[in-house]
Amino acid sequence: MSGSRTAPSRFGSAARVFDLSLGQMLWSRRSVFLGLLLGFPVLLALTLRIVDAMYRSGLWRQINGVRVGGATIFGLMIWLLYIRFIVPVLGVFYGTSLIADEVDDKTITYLFTRPIPRSAVLVGKYLAYLACTTLLVLPSVMLVFFLIVPIGGGGIGAAFPALLRDFAMLAIGLAAYGAVFALVGTRIKRPLIVGLVFAFGWEPAVLLFPGYLKRLTVAYYMQALVTHEMPQDSAVSVLMQVFREVPSLTVSLLALAVIIGGTVWLAGRAVEHKEYVLEQ
Amino acid sequence: MTTPIVSAEHLSKWYGQVIGLNDITLTVPPGITGLLGPNGAGKSTFMKLITGQLKPSKGSITVLGEPIWGNPGLYFRIGFCPEQDAFYERMTGLEWVAALVRLNGLSEAEAAETARRALQMVELLDAADKKIGAYSKGMRQRVKMAQALAHEPELLILDEPLAGMDPIARRKTIRMIKEWGRAGKSIVVSSHILHEIESMTANILLINQGRILAEGNVHQIRDLIDEHPHTVYIKADHTRELARAFLAYDDVLSLKFEDEAVVVQTGRPDAFYARLTDLAASGELGSIHEVTSPDDNLQAVFQYLVKT
Repeated sequence: MSGSRTAPSRFGSAARVFDLSLGQMLWSRRSVFLGLLLGFPVLLALTLRIVDAMYRSGLWRQINGVRVGGATIFGLMIWLLYIRFIVPVLGVFYGTSLIADEVDDKTITYLFTRPIPRSAVLVGKYLAYLACTTLLVLPSVMLVFFLIVPIGGGGIGAAFPALLRDFAMLAIGLAAYGAVFALVGTRIKRPLIVGLVFAFGWEPAVLLFPGYLKRLTVAYYMQALVTHEMPQDSAVSVLMQVFREVPSLTVSLLALAVIIGGTVWLAGRAVEHKEYVLEQ
Repeated sequence: MTTPIVSAEHLSKWYGQVIGLNDITLTVPPGITGLLGPNGAGKSTFMKLITGQLKPSKGSITVLGEPIWGNPGLYFRIGFCPEQDAFYERMTGLEWVAALVRLNGLSEAEAAETARRALQMVELLDAADKKIGAYSKGMRQRVKMAQALAHEPELLILDEPLAGMDPIARRKTIRMIKEWGRAGKSIVVSSHILHEIESMTANILLINQGRILAEGNVHQIRDLIDEHPHTVYIKADHTRELARAFLAYDDVLSLKFEDEAVVVQTGRPDAFYARLTDLAASGELGSIHEVTSPDDNLQAVFQYLVKT
């Protein structure tokens, strides 16, 4: 058999690593923990829904005197909770550990002594990360949507196309953050700390100030993908205006594509050339 | 002339300031070769270099005539059973072996069939559908071997394959390795226990402190004993008389008494044993009850060699 076989293509190899990795990733302790984290927005949504039911007068539905509908609250939650917090957290925790987990578990040997390029292992695991995190985020967002949008009489049917766009935006966010942190994981020692500093130190800090530095963030390009209208003349809207010095949709999509492609390619190259010395 | 399965030229590997392997030049011929050395001798580093997990710091290494680092195509011809007891514990043995074999380009159905065949070869087919997490140590070692040989490689590299096995599993595994050798596979097998290797092959590489101390046939290596003191433990009725007689031999280097025995160090064991046999047969100095030598196994050879 050994002489007659040809190696699967790079993508074919990645697909096979994906098959091997997805189940492991889905049922890992990390997924259980992050699954619980994704329950937080659902709990918050449930609380808001209960409060809404209790205060039918709609008092709480005004922020700084401006009436806020369910769709707007949902949009705020998508941006502030999911895009700015949960997606980077998922990216950091999974992305930095794509190869590190296999090294720590000492199972990397089995993948690196097969007739496939090492970069295909990284790509396969990256695709497994995308599938795994999407599967984790999807139910959480769906539940929040169905709990929040009806508040204030909002129609689920009318808001549904926006939900699909939100899913696309979340998938792009997961892809971008995962790719960046995959690169961090393959290049840098203590990648988790560096990743957390990037996501929750560098990005929020740089976004607050005008200038070019914000172009070195993922969040800057993600802003253009947000489709929800924010409440006007409120503290929230002022805050959002500061955040949203926004590039065009086309520029954002192109930049995110470059970020994803470039960082995955660089991470793949790093894995090809790096020696992994397993602890005995 | 047959191509060596492994060839190293001035091969060195450093981990920062620590030397893993130091200027090794060797060729490993086809067949079964045992890599012997104590823990920390450099065996694992050598295994990682010949399986392309590490890149040489200096020198070169080829496996089956090709460089191994950054050459994934060569893994069609190589099967590797690593030392570490690491698995995807939630998978069954069959799922795990099949998933790994799929990376060799097999379809799902082919991979399942191939995995089944490999599990049968290591006598693990009955437990194929059990989770690896529920396997015994011996079964875990065998499932690791199954993934290494499933794709029918020309060269099997087995890193401490007998570690942690019970005596019966150990015997079975030794038998399997010898059968694979007879079937034409080349095998490099490492161990720090000398009699294990001796039971599989006569062709050994002795490694210590990152250097190859000796290579070749175990009997040739045994001959090296003659260059070093050889210890003989003799239990007899009259140990003092025996000792006095031994002092007349010029090859006897030292004597000491332990319990009811005399322990002799000789520089020429063959001559000493011949005279001792004559002495026992004559009965002049009473009965000799027991003659043993801690040097009769390879452990002693190894200890002699590492002391030099």
